[in-house]
Amino acid sequence: MAPRSLWNGSIAFGLVTVPVKVYTATDSKSVHFREVHAKDGGKIEHRRICPKDDQTVGSDEIVRGYQVSARKWVELTDEEVAAAAGTQARLIDVDHFVPASEIDPVYYDKAYYLGAQDKGRDAYALLHAALEKADRAGVGRWVFHNRERTVIVRPLGDVLALHTMRFADEVVDPSDLELARVNRKPTEQEIEMAGKLVDGLHTGFDPSEYEDSHRKAVLALVEAKAAGKNIELPAPEEAEAADDLLAQLEASLSA
Amino acid sequence: MPRSLWTGSLSFGLVNVPVAMFSGVSDRDLHARQLHAKDHTPVETHRFCAEEDVEVPYDEIANGYETDDGEMVILTDAELAAANPHKSRTIDIEAFVDLDDVDPITFDHPYILMPSGEAEGIQRAYRLLVEVMGRTDRAALGRIVMRTKEYLALIRAREDRLVLTTLLWHDEVRPTDPIPAPTKKDKPAKKEVDAAVELIESFACEWDPSRYEDAFQKRLREIVKRKGKGQAIELPDEEEDEPTPVPDLMAALERSLEEAKA
Repeated sequence: MAPRSLWNGSIAFGLVTVPVKVYTATDSKSVHFREVHAKDGGKIEHRRICPKDDQTVGSDEIVRGYQVSARKWVELTDEEVAAAAGTQARLIDVDHFVPASEIDPVYYDKAYYLGAQDKGRDAYALLHAALEKADRAGVGRWVFHNRERTVIVRPLGDVLALHTMRFADEVVDPSDLELARVNRKPTEQEIEMAGKLVDGLHTGFDPSEYEDSHRKAVLALVEAKAAGKNIELPAPEEAEAADDLLAQLEASLSA
Repeated sequence: MPRSLWTGSLSFGLVNVPVAMFSGVSDRDLHARQLHAKDHTPVETHRFCAEEDVEVPYDEIANGYETDDGEMVILTDAELAAANPHKSRTIDIEAFVDLDDVDPITFDHPYILMPSGEAEGIQRAYRLLVEVMGRTDRAALGRIVMRTKEYLALIRAREDRLVLTTLLWHDEVRPTDPIPAPTKKDKPAKKEVDAAVELIESFACEWDPSRYEDAFQKRLREIVKRKGKGQAIELPDEEEDEPTPVPDLMAALERSLEEAKA
């Protein structure tokens, strides 16, 4: 069965329009728990309480507000929030092209697939072939769920993938976190040895070789508990500290 | 210094480096709150037990798993921690991979790892990892357990720090087979591809994230300001009509190229 698309529209590539459907590309496989009351397993409900009257507030008595000062809130309707999205264009205007391999992983936010629509499949095939040949990703803007985002479009196998990208001011600059001074920097000898260790562990990446073993362990715990077994609690761990770097590196290499 | 989200150790061979992990993303958005309509009091969310209809403090809440036959299995946080008793506070570097081999579709969340502890040994071991990773294009691959979930993670050097990106597991990326894709008969002619590549090259540039700004946030702040002053908010136009596919791809490409040159 074909999945359901989240959004239908077009990509504008110069004067060529490419009709597309957007599909979600990922889904979490985490074991899902719900909040329960530990002593009786009662389901936990989240209730909205007004702290002033100490009363439950119904959803029809709730409005959306943005804080402008300590005591003042500005109320906005759905339409007013939608106004911030700008024109609800059914168009993703891809107007410049970047080498995707140069984009740092921190900028990638959410991933989607673009499907071809029945009409204009030749235009989809053309954009796919040209991006592949030029080895570039198209950059554009996409308004989705009343929010405007920067997106890239890139070929992935036989389809096009679309990624929403984080804005520069959302990404923390690592150098904002302060690093203590060291009296003695790592020596060339240590760096060389560590480099050998890196080379020794170098391998190709095949994602299917890695399984979420924790997910299975969690499900096994659920089964054990359901069967009435006692679960042994793990002892707290203590991290070991590094003192003699060179000796540790030597031991690692000979291990 | 912001608050760390996780502390533990990064283990590389027999070298252990105590680290603290920070989010690589800072939320600067203007967020809405739910208000009580009559007097604009921000409402609070309280947890109630549906069985007893009483409020439940946070430390009495456990994790419930509903089995297929409707039974509720209850696990406390401490019991859940037993799922990975030995490794939940250590990131073991298992391998080094080329960053280009990891498809961006699996990138999840960015973090920054900092040395945890003032001791010279800790700081030096951290520097050593930064130094050696900075000299290659390879990223370290390891696993990290955060709360009740395990992630595969890539660790790289950036700006003299170690940065970590959690990855989705391979079965969390959906297959592309059900996505409607063009067929062989949609295959473009060589001259069409060449013209399209030329169009791409004429708008080619480097990735520069500073060119993009969050126009939504900017407009939202403006709208809140105007509404606060009692001004009217202009509602957006009707949706535009969806553009129709062009009948002649080659003609559209040629006209695009002419416009690009003009």
